[in-house]
Amino acid sequence: MIKTDVIIIGGGATGCGIARDLALRGIPHCLIEKGDFAAGATGACHGLLHSGGRYAVSDPVAAKECYDENRILRRIGEKCVERTGGLFVRLPGDSKMFRERFLRGCDDIGIPTEILSSTRALELVPNLNPALEEAIVVPDCSIDPFRLCLLNMKTSQIRGGMSFTRHRVMEIVRSHGRCIGVKAADVYTGEIKEIHANLIVNASGAWTDRVARLAGCEVPLTLSKGSLVITNHRLTDMVINRLRPASDGDIIVPNEAVCLAGTTSLLVEDPDRIGIESAEVDTIIGEAGRMIPHFNSTRIIRAFSGVRPLLKSQKLDSREISRGFQIIDHQNGMYSIVGGKLTTFRLMAEKMVDTIMTAFNLKRDCETAERPLDGQEELSGYPLNKRLADMKNIVCECELVTRGDVERIIDQTGTRHVGDISHRTRLGMGPCQGGFCTFRALGIMHDMDILTAEQSVQSLREFLERRFRGIRYALWGDQLREEQLVEYIYLGILALGKHS
Amino acid sequence: MSVIAYDVIVIGAGTAGLTAGARLASEGLQVALVTAGEPTACLSTGCIDVCAAGVNPLDGIADLPESHPYHRIAPAAIRDALLNFQRQCAGLHLPYTGAPDQNRLVLSAIGTFKTSCLVPVTMRSSPQNEEEKIHIVTFAGLKDFYPGYILSRLRNAAFSTYDAGVSTTMGIAANFEDDTFLEAFILWLEKLNLRENKIAFPAVLGLESAAAIVDTLEQRLERPVFEIPTIPPSMPGRRLFNVLKDHFRRQGGVIYWNWPVVGVEKAGRQIEAVRLESQGRPMSLNARAFILATGSFVGGGLSARRETIIEKVFDLPVFVPGTREDWFEQDYFSRNHGIGRAGIAADAAFRPDGCPWDNIFACGAILAHVEALKNGCGHGFAIATGEAAARSCLEYLR
Repeated sequence: MIKTDVIIIGGGATGCGIARDLALRGIPHCLIEKGDFAAGATGACHGLLHSGGRYAVSDPVAAKECYDENRILRRIGEKCVERTGGLFVRLPGDSKMFRERFLRGCDDIGIPTEILSSTRALELVPNLNPALEEAIVVPDCSIDPFRLCLLNMKTSQIRGGMSFTRHRVMEIVRSHGRCIGVKAADVYTGEIKEIHANLIVNASGAWTDRVARLAGCEVPLTLSKGSLVITNHRLTDMVINRLRPASDGDIIVPNEAVCLAGTTSLLVEDPDRIGIESAEVDTIIGEAGRMIPHFNSTRIIRAFSGVRPLLKSQKLDSREISRGFQIIDHQNGMYSIVGGKLTTFRLMAEKMVDTIMTAFNLKRDCETAERPLDGQEELSGYPLNKRLADMKNIVCECELVTRGDVERIIDQTGTRHVGDISHRTRLGMGPCQGGFCTFRALGIMHDMDILTAEQSVQSLREFLERRFRGIRYALWGDQLREEQLVEYIYLGILALGKHS
Repeated sequence: MSVIAYDVIVIGAGTAGLTAGARLASEGLQVALVTAGEPTACLSTGCIDVCAAGVNPLDGIADLPESHPYHRIAPAAIRDALLNFQRQCAGLHLPYTGAPDQNRLVLSAIGTFKTSCLVPVTMRSSPQNEEEKIHIVTFAGLKDFYPGYILSRLRNAAFSTYDAGVSTTMGIAANFEDDTFLEAFILWLEKLNLRENKIAFPAVLGLESAAAIVDTLEQRLERPVFEIPTIPPSMPGRRLFNVLKDHFRRQGGVIYWNWPVVGVEKAGRQIEAVRLESQGRPMSLNARAFILATGSFVGGGLSARRETIIEKVFDLPVFVPGTREDWFEQDYFSRNHGIGRAGIAADAAFRPDGCPWDNIFACGAILAHVEALKNGCGHGFAIATGEAAARSCLEYLR
């Protein structure tokens, strides 16, 4: 049995942020995550570090939080934030009244804005719809959610925090009605770890209610699915928003070599069963195409969706539900933290840990806003000369990942899941979506005795199914052509079947 | 702009186009073949898949749905086309083993067995069951071949690794064309004192000389030796392409390499010419008839838009299997995706349905209702329809 002070359930931005905050305040802790870090809504969003502009009209409190956190993250997280700046573009027919309210809202909150003529906006982002009326500059940024989680966890690791990914919480251990620990199963071996602590924090996002029920509590949530598409080109160097009340497909965010566009907003029941519909993909492309016409002709490499866990509300359009967050004290040694946004994850963690410190009757101020994220010095970006030095051993041609990179991640993490390698190296993130390199990565994992031969083949099969779920709704043009080639390789040349 | 006239222009350099072209040229016609680049045949295993159903693929064909284009050809003609192919290849130093009325298995690079019919002689000894004792020899750093996958199924298999000095499929294959390299490799193999009944290699045993290299290895090691086809780039696919290309040229055919078709000229019910362009240079080729063998999506003959599918050379009517929602099933492994039926529907003479011109004939993967993956119709289908389209074209021209 493992003993610690605080158990964190969930390895999204909130959970990882709490781990970092606890580490900096000297509180022993253990984080449990059923998948990999950033596997839920954290990894399935735009990767937009909001300036707050998006909420300036509808929710000034959330907008203020966003703007404050935006400034903090730009300062402490240089290596996972790209200071792209953002534009709110007004197209012909978009309300001028909304523009006035938007500018006034930003002004009241203190979000700096600059109004650009259409000519000036087109100089900054040449791919914009030339018919635009005007654009307003805000300090939106692009953020890498996965790297953000890893950097937060780095601080936890340096300071002795524990974490178990690919472990599912099976049971909340209770004694005299109080939560005293959890039993978590290793998803590969089924082996159960029992971990005891003084407090449990349930930061499991869309799964919060399920985890709470293990402790006999309830956290009523509204689950809102948002779908996004990824293009294989970086069509803009700035974040592009539509200057109108929040609606489908009104945000485009550049990230590394690609762009993400979304989202939609549909209420769902089960966070484990969310699909995408062709109509959603068409809507996003259509709307994004109004702002950047190239969206209609560019290659879409994948569509995906995430679930926003929002506080329960009677409102029908989930966009009107507050994006604020809430800490729920279940009065039995467990807290749930729900709502919020990626942009405000640090603030959420701070408030959560403040609550924990009070419960422990300890005094130590939060330092997460002042200290730069640990581990950034190791991230040198992607210097091409370094990657090309080992050209002979490139495993993923799209993202220039070498066999050495794959072996290093396996050595460091001991992972048996090829997705963990992708998250940490970008293997398989390019146009072929892992069609070639995953076969190689799994072959290497077998070479290294991480997987048995049978497990390699089974993982390959599961990967292909997972991959297909992501690209199925973006299959036309070149992406369909590439998909037919990949299908020909695996089902034709390699004669791989569901059971054979 | 230069204008040149032929009897027939074949568009597409895959198995179907080269087969049709060679047949027409062998009948004394002036034939030119135009291609935008290397065909997908180069990505293939080089095996001639006819129809995966049944022990006898010709029986399997009989059971295919009525809409399948195989039914437009008499069974005897399919058989003759395949036998003819075998004769050609034997004469060009790449014999194919097998018979048109007998399916056989080929061990894949993941340890599964793929059903094929005629196989390159280098795969002649591929095991027919999981029990065989084989020894796999792979090459250090070769990134597209992992013996571990095969060991997951063939319990009696073992492997060794040879350092060939290079690590790419093409690089190792080039080394094998060098006698000194081959001799050093054989000496290394002999020292292994292998006890298994058969020796397997990823398909990198040379390019032109593969059949001879396998012969030499068998004699020196005194046991059967075979190649396991790899994912692209695939040497057996390239060897097949080279043999078909040689045969076409020997019949007098001309190839316009890297000359994509950019337009067509028509008059009444005739296509009169195709306009080509290479590096900004235009050219026009006149002909009395045209063979469309541009392949499916991968080959580039078809292109999917969000709501429809187009044929890229003549903009012919395409059979589109329902709406985009119907193109793919949820289950990746179903082999039953609607998209497999997309293509050009054709009549008994391989003339496209609804085609406004009388002198176009279509063959190979661009045809509708093939369902190549589901039915296991690969190069065998291309050879049979290539011959059949050529015959119809001949009749039309006479």
